[in-house]
Amino acid sequence: MNYDVIIIGGGAAGMASAIESAKLGAKTLLIEKDGKLGGILIQCIHNGFGVKYFKEELTGPEYAHRFETIVAKNDIEVMLNTFVLNVGNDKSVTIINKNGMKILHAKAVVLAMGCREKTAGSISLTGVRPTGIFTAGQIQRMVNILGKMPGKNIVILGSGDIGLIMARRLTFEGAKVEMVIEIMSNTSGSARNVQQCLIDFDIPLHFNTTITRVVGKNRVEGIYYAKVDEKFNVIDSSEKFLKCDCILLSVGLIPDNSVISQLALSRITNGAMVDEYRETTIEGIFACGNVLHVHDLVDNVTEEAIIAGKNAALYSQQKLIKGKKYNIFSGNGVRYNIPNTVYNGSGEVEVFFRATEKFIKHSIAVKSGEIIIAKKFVPSIIPGTMQSIKIDKSKIDNDIEISIQL
Amino acid sequence: MTYDYAVIGGGVIGSAIFNKLVRVGKSCVMLEKNNDVSVGVSKANSGIVHAGFDAPQNSLKAKLNVLGNKMMPKLCEELKVRYKEIGALVVADNNAEIKKLYENGLANGVSGLEIIDNEKLRLLVPKLSNKMTCALYAKNSGIILPYELTIALAEEGVINGGVVELEFEVVKVTRKNNTFSLFSEDGKQVNANYVINASGMYFNNVSKILNAEIYKIIYRKGEYFLLDKCETNLTKHTIFPLPSKISKGVLVTPTIDGNILIGPNSIQKEDYNPETSMVGLKEVKNNAIKNFPNIAFNKNIRNFAGVRTIIGDDFVIEKSKLQTNLINIAGICSPGLSASPAIAEMVVRDLLEIKTPERTMIPRKKIETINNKSLEEVNKLIKKDSNYGVIVCRCEQVSLAEIIQALNSPLKPRSIDAIKRRTRAGMGRCQGSYCLNSVLKTIAIEKNIPIETVTKENKGSEIIIGNIKEIGGDN
Repeated sequence: MNYDVIIIGGGAAGMASAIESAKLGAKTLLIEKDGKLGGILIQCIHNGFGVKYFKEELTGPEYAHRFETIVAKNDIEVMLNTFVLNVGNDKSVTIINKNGMKILHAKAVVLAMGCREKTAGSISLTGVRPTGIFTAGQIQRMVNILGKMPGKNIVILGSGDIGLIMARRLTFEGAKVEMVIEIMSNTSGSARNVQQCLIDFDIPLHFNTTITRVVGKNRVEGIYYAKVDEKFNVIDSSEKFLKCDCILLSVGLIPDNSVISQLALSRITNGAMVDEYRETTIEGIFACGNVLHVHDLVDNVTEEAIIAGKNAALYSQQKLIKGKKYNIFSGNGVRYNIPNTVYNGSGEVEVFFRATEKFIKHSIAVKSGEIIIAKKFVPSIIPGTMQSIKIDKSKIDNDIEISIQL
Repeated sequence: MTYDYAVIGGGVIGSAIFNKLVRVGKSCVMLEKNNDVSVGVSKANSGIVHAGFDAPQNSLKAKLNVLGNKMMPKLCEELKVRYKEIGALVVADNNAEIKKLYENGLANGVSGLEIIDNEKLRLLVPKLSNKMTCALYAKNSGIILPYELTIALAEEGVINGGVVELEFEVVKVTRKNNTFSLFSEDGKQVNANYVINASGMYFNNVSKILNAEIYKIIYRKGEYFLLDKCETNLTKHTIFPLPSKISKGVLVTPTIDGNILIGPNSIQKEDYNPETSMVGLKEVKNNAIKNFPNIAFNKNIRNFAGVRTIIGDDFVIEKSKLQTNLINIAGICSPGLSASPAIAEMVVRDLLEIKTPERTMIPRKKIETINNKSLEEVNKLIKKDSNYGVIVCRCEQVSLAEIIQALNSPLKPRSIDAIKRRTRAGMGRCQGSYCLNSVLKTIAIEKNIPIETVTKENKGSEIIIGNIKEIGGDN
């Protein structure tokens, strides 16, 4: 079977990509492993989605539903309950479902598989391994979809937004969240979530602290936790015991590119290296959403997916024409940037990035060679919030560096 | 009824003996206190079938290791267990110790040994540290999944008339006219004329109940890292440092499924609590990087610890001197897994003096997997059972059909981890964060039990504790 564009993953990124691709008249296939579209949004029943894109606060399922409706109105073939086993460099897509295993072919592929969670193994959590140690996503599915509880007295390790939101959810559902433990000296979650999910419920948040040992026989019976110094070495004398029966891990997300093997990945994001059209290092293969880099807002995922979907369609129609290519490097204060390369020409390109740390009253500066081609003042920059700056493409005549300056 | 033999302990040793007894036509029961076999010492170890070059000369360890290594390929073929003879290298920066080891190996009767120079070492292990310049190459060393072997041994025994009683912890024993009556905590009773105590870490507890020998057992814990399959090219062979008096040292090896396993250290413990520690894992790391300076520890997917039980310098495999019709098997540390087929052979042929030949066994059915199969083969499977087209574990690409087959396999496993050991669902890089809920639901549906009763391993390890809004946290 042949398509112009195959999109892998029916979450926020995949749906927006598919809509954009179909609008341009490309023969579009959207593949989703679950029985309905929506991806991880389906289990995110809290609100706060769509503030930027729809200018209103929606829950995850509501946000997904809006796009699901648009997908249905467009000429998009949707394959549900279908798992992608492999994506080849030749844009062949090996799928499996109840009807069989098949190899499909496309002129362009959009990777939109999202991310996976870091686990107890990826942070080498020490102690025993009884039941009661779960990732935030596992617990979110258990509580929000199955309506079941994983424990009564819960400790949350990691203070990212999902951890904070689950602290509130578990409290609502009858558990006691004993504390949130964060190894860093600040949270990567939003200030709003710290207030609304922890402070409002008197849940303590301990910085510079980590779990040193999990104890228990069949089920978690407690943890030892201790302060760490600035090099993350445990300060033994500070070790304390806390009784609990469940540990929720909210220790980070990693783009999941497992289905494709020969992609050049960024060491920082674990996502693909992409150009301004969100095309990866493999021609005709595009990427967007959390499989590219982990976003803090679904609205940003949607915007990125529109770029990928549009350009995948144009590529399939041989209408994607590129200028001269230049690299974009992360300079002072910038952890990573998306895209990694741009082309000179007309119009604007928006570059997204995350800061390495908190900056107050600084400027974002973009240099092409030695010449500053864009600059903007920002009152406050935090690593947890994605930043962006627009560049006039006609001004690009050298590799670009993006940095944060006083 | 009264069985001819009761084996206490469903580890690899108990299962090998149980299997052998069934093969020679004896009626046999194996009692295991956990709700699956292979969950003690046999679960968490290096999974190496050693060649036998480092065991002390004239020891049971040397004899049974070398013999077990020879028996393993055929046994694995019969049981449909994956076994790969990938070869092991002990690497060093000078020849002296390597030569000693080589000679010890020859004295033990190990074949396939070769001392190799730096040039050949680079070819075999390109990513090895430059500081290591020579090695002992043992071509007969292999890798295996210890739980896969143990499960297969037990399953074949069950298919051919043996009985495995899970969740049967022996708490009381009585004897009448030489017959043992073994009782579980919940009042189940099993009678047997002969008992084999292969209870591993719990040997002394069981022996006390049997009024038999109590040994001075030392527990030595070993901790491990298991790396993501993306690191599989680190080494094609098992790489050891020079052995010390207490252990073979921290090895780096591929596993059957293509992960990289690194460990163990060796820490003496008062008890047999298999827990990892920050200090211990650091020790493993520091030792491993001596041989491989560029290990990607950030690709770790799991840490675990196992416990060796050690009695003196050798295995204890003997008839009890305090009780008739009782065999004690204790202190089976490394190379116990490698020796397991030979231990079973020794127990059945030498100690029990059973001379009957092995009968033709009904072969064990392996769970048909879709992983690594061609498109045509997979489509054939899906045509037979459409659940082969439903992927449950995305990292290891395990289908619903495989999970259901595992649930209906001979030992009737019913826990998340038992299914994991049989199908690999949850063993990949996401460690079940994606598939746990699906496996949980599948077990509840297939076994027709409430989801709240599905456990990770034993009773008390239920995943779910109740409905939302119906529980209260302890304040």
